[in-house]
Amino acid sequence: MRHAEPRALPAPRGMAHLARLLQFSDSTLPIGSFAFSNGLESALQTGIVTDADGLSRFVEFVLHQNARVDGVALLHAHRAALAEDYSGVVTADRELLCRRVGEEQQMMLTRMGKKLAELALRVSPSPMLERWLADIRSDATPGCLPIGQAITLAGLGADETEAFVVHQYGMASMILSAALRLMRIDHFETQRILFAAQGRVEDEYLAVRDLALNEMAAFAPVFEVLVAHHTTVHVRLFMN
Amino acid sequence: MTLPAALGVLDAARELRGFQTEPAQMRAAAPGKVGRLRLGFAMRDGRSVLHDLYRVAPLLVQQALYWDEAMPELPVCPIISVGGGILQGDCYTIDITLEEGACAHISTQGANRIHCMDANYASQHQMVIVGAGGYLEYLPDFTIPYRGSRFIARSDLIVAADATLLYGEMVLAGRKHHHVEERFGFDLLSMDVTVRRPDGRKLFGEKTLIEKGDPTIAFAAVMQGFDAFANILCVTPPGTATRIKERFESHFPSEAPRAASGVSRLPNAAGLMLRAVGVETYDVRNEVRRFWRIVREEVRGRSLPTESYWR
Repeated sequence: MRHAEPRALPAPRGMAHLARLLQFSDSTLPIGSFAFSNGLESALQTGIVTDADGLSRFVEFVLHQNARVDGVALLHAHRAALAEDYSGVVTADRELLCRRVGEEQQMMLTRMGKKLAELALRVSPSPMLERWLADIRSDATPGCLPIGQAITLAGLGADETEAFVVHQYGMASMILSAALRLMRIDHFETQRILFAAQGRVEDEYLAVRDLALNEMAAFAPVFEVLVAHHTTVHVRLFMN
Repeated sequence: MTLPAALGVLDAARELRGFQTEPAQMRAAAPGKVGRLRLGFAMRDGRSVLHDLYRVAPLLVQQALYWDEAMPELPVCPIISVGGGILQGDCYTIDITLEEGACAHISTQGANRIHCMDANYASQHQMVIVGAGGYLEYLPDFTIPYRGSRFIARSDLIVAADATLLYGEMVLAGRKHHHVEERFGFDLLSMDVTVRRPDGRKLFGEKTLIEKGDPTIAFAAVMQGFDAFANILCVTPPGTATRIKERFESHFPSEAPRAASGVSRLPNAAGLMLRAVGVETYDVRNEVRRFWRIVREEVRGRSLPTESYWR
């Protein structure tokens, strides 16, 4: 019969591998991302974002920046995790936190990192993740989300491009789900924006894959003011 | 003359790879293009004095002046650039040390103009050390990178746990009233700052990298509607940082803002960062001055003098 033999491998690294990548990219993964808007709430309050086009540019900008700072730390941590170099993981973790200005931005980074480690350890054992979580609890390392993603995904056999995609997707979906609660926009529009954003992920990866940790760089003055502004606003839905 | 090692590290930066040609005029880092400045402040007979001064043109400091009427014990040192701006192939090093309990204010005489370039780049390395209980205000005037210029700067700041350092970087995106292509018309602006404790522990690091043609510059979340920005670091103990942050009102008008600003906490309880953007330099300067006043009042119990009439 024609259909008895599979025509190609269903997924290059196996179907369970793909399924687990989807699981760890899911926007409903309970690591607390629902509490954060990454500056979008302030951007709407100050008129920096007013409509779907503005939101689309905001997402593009955040992903651009996310790749050049957090993405670099993620790639370094992923390489260190694969090489069983725990001190390399901690270095990436500390370097990333050193570059995060704003108490709410720091909280977003470390709270979600710790929650991811707790969650991942519940579903699958990982000695390195266990050690990292113990170090977070004893304040020996900050516990930044991209580092947790790197250790978890390296443990699942994901290569660095897959880890990078999961990381970028997570940020985009977090902002867009916040947008649904903050502005007049429907699910079709946010999905259109997300679809367009996904198309740029390879360019972002290629732009940052060779960067050293001390080359993490950004330029976003208005965004940085928004981040500072949000901590002083009385009426708000999100933690940042 | 041998170049300081720190400048050699800068020369190897990735973003400079495309700008390694020699100028047709004086070669890069030739004598006369290497400015060096070393300033040391210490307590002598109950007063903070400039006890160490070494300079190589085009950088110049003449002497410390005690002319701050609101803080008469404060030695004030304006840095003078006799070259009239930074040219291609120039490299500067500035080392400032404050010993235990000393205070100082260091500024520049005018804007740091980075001239147009058709070869090479300009570089600057700064090392600032503030000892126990020290108080330093290092607030250079605006950096203005002209179109086609390339500038790389690195600042290593070492601050004792009970000391305060107010250090600022203010940038205008080119000579905006001179030419339509001046606004972000430079080839490269790379500014890196690192804050450490005397034991080497890193508290904060930030690199601002702007390369020509960066599409995000036009975005509303980056610089749309504004031409000037400032990052002002206040490295100070956590209790002082809390008092300063409580007093500074963030400012972000939603209708046609001239300027916007806010204060954020640095990681590792290092202190605070003022972020400001504005249409003109004076819009940003007003925000910086508002922050500066609070910092001085909270740290040293002194206010600011009235602003100079030429500002």
